[in-house]
Amino acid sequence: MILNFTKAAELLIPSLLHGFTVVIQATIFGFLLATLLGMIIAIGRLSNIKVIKGTLYLFLELIRGTPLLVQLVYIYYVVPLLLNLIAGMFGYKTDVQIASLTAGILGLGINYGCYMSEVIRASILSVDRGQTEAALALGLGKYQALFRIVMPQALRNIIPSLGNYLVMMVKDTSLLAYVAVNELLLRTQTFASQTFLTIESYTFLALAYLVISIPLSYIVKIIENKLKN
Amino acid sequence: MFNITELGKKFGDLEVLKSISLFIEEGEVVCIIGPSGSGKSTFLRCLNLLEIPTSGKLYYEGTIVDADLDTKKLRREVGMVFQKFNLFPMFTVLENLTYAPILINKMKKDEAHELAIDLLKKVGLADKMHMYPSTLSGGQQQRVAIARALAMKPKMLLFDEPTSALDPELVGDVLEVMKQLAAEGMTMVVVTHEMGFAREVADRVIFMDKGYVVEEGVPEKIFNQPDNPRTREFLARVL
Repeated sequence: MILNFTKAAELLIPSLLHGFTVVIQATIFGFLLATLLGMIIAIGRLSNIKVIKGTLYLFLELIRGTPLLVQLVYIYYVVPLLLNLIAGMFGYKTDVQIASLTAGILGLGINYGCYMSEVIRASILSVDRGQTEAALALGLGKYQALFRIVMPQALRNIIPSLGNYLVMMVKDTSLLAYVAVNELLLRTQTFASQTFLTIESYTFLALAYLVISIPLSYIVKIIENKLKN
Repeated sequence: MFNITELGKKFGDLEVLKSISLFIEEGEVVCIIGPSGSGKSTFLRCLNLLEIPTSGKLYYEGTIVDADLDTKKLRREVGMVFQKFNLFPMFTVLENLTYAPILINKMKKDEAHELAIDLLKKVGLADKMHMYPSTLSGGQQQRVAIARALAMKPKMLLFDEPTSALDPELVGDVLEVMKQLAAEGMTMVVVTHEMGFAREVADRVIFMDKGYVVEEGVPEKIFNQPDNPRTREFLARVL
């Protein structure tokens, strides 16, 4: 068996470069959604309202108890069907569909948001209670104290762990291949099945992920060290 | 300024304050002393509603303090200095002083700046204004915290064991600033273990034990001829 890396490189690498933009889009929007959702869940779970706390806890258990891949497939295939079914029960005939990249971003955002909410919640709790008290004693309101004094300190403390989630998310975009997002894995699978350059193709695929994740982890480390000083 | 009648505070089943009745007059320096666990700090924290009393009545300048009273207004006028300073670590010393006046009192930036610098001069730390709190000693941090409270132009200051977290050699500078404030006529309620300060500066000393005010009076009386045996016992241990 003769390996033909040159041929694989010539044909596959341009395609992978296109795939990069998809990966970057999915990661950026997915991560923004996750951060936003993470903060909302964290603050909701710290509230005194039992209904909110309970609902969020159940939602968290639901997401953490199922695999990301299943969630993605569910959002892409099942949610539109459910929406159409519900609309049908009210007498409307609809044909809701979710674009594959949108489904991917939603899945990543919701799944990571749940995990990140726990980190954010712990970090808010770890800020000295005295900070809130000092803010209140100066006449700030409850929410001013939370958003202006406590949250900035909490988020600063967890930038490194949020950075690690970002790196993980880049790698997990490969799961989006299963909801027809034309990212790196799907492009490679297609290419390999057409050319039979299986070893070459998947080796390039692995390298492609390393090209993103190694520099990204390095940047996260640099930021972490900067914050320590 | 404050009229307190039969104030009580329970944490679950634990009754920390049992029926406290007191007046606090304008311009007065009141020192609260007593063993730990006597409810001194809890009482102080009830005055700016960091703790919500569970019984009794609290009047501030003739208005009853309850759910209807604007808590933020009360807190703007009644400043607090904490045992552990609680400066905002992400802000410089100057920003710590200007943050609330600009945000809450809607003071102009330049004006807040000038006021902050004046206050820092007053506590002897004008040269530290661009430093971050973590680079200062405990005593310096507490003086910044006092200046931060003063920057809101409060009518009254509450001090919650302001020197208890300090190394002994740093206590003097903080007490000096507090003496200066007292001399300027600031109304102050000070929970403290510094008996020397209470004796010298207080207009009135309150001895608390087990959630009650056991005895109150001018410092000479409390320290020299206390009526109550529990006061005598406590003073014998700390003096």
